[in-house]
Amino acid sequence: MLSPVLCSELSALEPEYTEADVISTVEFSQSGEFLATGDKGGRVVIFQREPQGEYNVYSTFQSHDPEFDYLKSLEIEEKINKIRWLPQLHSALFLLTTNDKTIKLWKVSERDKQPEGYNLKDEEGRVKDISKITSLQVPVLRPMDLLVEASPRRVFSNAHAYHINSISINSDCETYLSADDLRINLWNLSITDRSFNIVDLKPDNMEDLTEVITVAEFHPHHCHLLAFSSSTGTTRLCDMRSRALCDQHAKLFEEAVDPASRSFFSELISSVSDVKFSHSGRYLLTRDYLSAKVWDLNMEKKPVETYQVHDYLRSKLCTLYESDCIFDKFECAWNGTDSVIMTGAYNNFFRMFDRASRRDVTLEASREVCKRRAVLRPRRVCIGRKRRESDICVDSLDFRKKVLHTAWHPTDNIIAIAARNNLYIFQDRHSPSGHHGVHRIEQETAPQLEDTPPQ
Amino acid sequence: MEYKVEAHRIMSISLGKIYNSRVQRGGIKLHKNLLVSLVLRSARQVYLSDYYAGVCLNAQHIEAKEWELMDADREKLIPASERHVGAEDGRASRLQEKDGDSLDPSDVAVTSPVSPAISETQCGSSDCETDADAAVTEGDSRQPPKDHACSHRKRSAEETGVSETPVKRTKVTPNAIVANNEIEEGEEMDTSNVSNLITIFGSGFSGLLSKDSAKSESETDDSDSGSGQICCEQMLKNLNPWTTAIVAF
Repeated sequence: MLSPVLCSELSALEPEYTEADVISTVEFSQSGEFLATGDKGGRVVIFQREPQGEYNVYSTFQSHDPEFDYLKSLEIEEKINKIRWLPQLHSALFLLTTNDKTIKLWKVSERDKQPEGYNLKDEEGRVKDISKITSLQVPVLRPMDLLVEASPRRVFSNAHAYHINSISINSDCETYLSADDLRINLWNLSITDRSFNIVDLKPDNMEDLTEVITVAEFHPHHCHLLAFSSSTGTTRLCDMRSRALCDQHAKLFEEAVDPASRSFFSELISSVSDVKFSHSGRYLLTRDYLSAKVWDLNMEKKPVETYQVHDYLRSKLCTLYESDCIFDKFECAWNGTDSVIMTGAYNNFFRMFDRASRRDVTLEASREVCKRRAVLRPRRVCIGRKRRESDICVDSLDFRKKVLHTAWHPTDNIIAIAARNNLYIFQDRHSPSGHHGVHRIEQETAPQLEDTPPQ
Repeated sequence: MEYKVEAHRIMSISLGKIYNSRVQRGGIKLHKNLLVSLVLRSARQVYLSDYYAGVCLNAQHIEAKEWELMDADREKLIPASERHVGAEDGRASRLQEKDGDSLDPSDVAVTSPVSPAISETQCGSSDCETDADAAVTEGDSRQPPKDHACSHRKRSAEETGVSETPVKRTKVTPNAIVANNEIEEGEEMDTSNVSNLITIFGSGFSGLLSKDSAKSESETDDSDSGSGQICCEQMLKNLNPWTTAIVAF
């Protein structure tokens, strides 16, 4: 089982933080060298892995700004809902970011040379007096301090009437899907003025609405397969070869609900908050409010494994409903070899489940607990009285501290945990891929960062 | 009995959430409001099933006044959301439902403990949908065919309500349009809201307006906590546009 050790903690210097600093998405790049986070303020921060194994800030940019839809009198939040990386082909990085309505393709590139020796401009950029120019020179490229620039290469807008909840890049690296509450659209990365609708759940009469799409994802290898989950607890697999409009599913993954456990909130807690294909493409991981389930693509009627994440909350659903916590959407993640799954919980806890050994661990991501290079101690939630010092009682859980967004490095045992405005990066102590850095990383709340040279 | 209290509490909370969702930044979230409406429906079913179980016992003791008493009880116990939501349109259709009920029109429809939810739904789907359009377009022109004490009361309720109808409509329509991302649905809002509310909440609109509901509530003592009742009531005075906004979203 993993022994996570804190290797980087990027958090606000100030204990107070604004709502805009809350991290809303975390995603490793396909190689794992880069890690991107998006926050509620519309900013994206990209971290790069250093040779020593630590992640440092590489680039920061404002991806989305708040907008106002005048036609519908609605404010469009700038919160970054999802970030997805394109495979890296050359030195520039490409990533898709989305808020509720607009998707953008960003290019992040380095510049470490600049041309010098212009004929018409001097060193400071002022226009030279033409009469003073006596000879011509050819500008040459000279090294400069590394500058990381981010520029929006494509803006995909006006395709979604409802709030976008997912984007997923196809394995063909040419197309991607974007999903909102009722529709899924297929885009070409180069074409911004049109998209194809492939799934449409909108009923003719909106009053007949019974379910919405919660997450959608492309299969990692088969470019014709996509999966999407709904608020009714079902996950559908669609095959784009069989029909252009995939309203009819190819497979439907749904587990029968035990009628004895029905309550007012049964439908609520069955709503799927995240779907992830395994790296192998054989399994699906779904997360609903209380559990995480692993499905075999070949078996639709029930999952092959079910992991209870925090079943002790089942008796507290009414309180969680009042506080809106029951609507929290937890994400889940596979490790590189598909042997361990991870998901977040409350009180800044996150849990990892080893599929083969059926062992699991609960860990906490918080500044008080995490010391650099110290191994995290497993935590336990008890319903009755505490048996151990490290136990915590259910009633003492802090429901304002929730780990909604987690990410696992594609190949190594490195995980990124987002807790409000803090980002924790843990590495397995026994991981061969690196040793631990010494210096501490801080991320300031102000956009200006030391690592990014001023323009 | 505590289930009823719990159900009522959950309904109040749900209505509050629907109300608050409108002022949240970023617009109304369809997913969350759909889930809240599902909880609301579940709670309502429990609430009404408890109601019908209690009413059955009372029905055997009272004679002529039973209809009015039941009506008052029912109007009190049925979530104010339905009353209020149906205020402008459901009222007329509720009339149709009561009058068109194939069961004994006086009491049995109300007091029958046998599958009350089902009978309501049937009434709702068969009568209300067909009559809803007419009711909406004609406003108060629908008169109940039966000359019953209850009907008189209902008629008066409807008439008092009609004057408020234009007000409610103006309140509803812009909100619903604002909340509704599909503008073409704006025209169908009124009729669609009625049938939707009826199907989703299983019909059963007693067609009361705020005045009548306040009156009937004040004259009865329910087992529900008073504060919850009042809270629910106040919330529901403002609810009408929100609920219709949700369902028309």
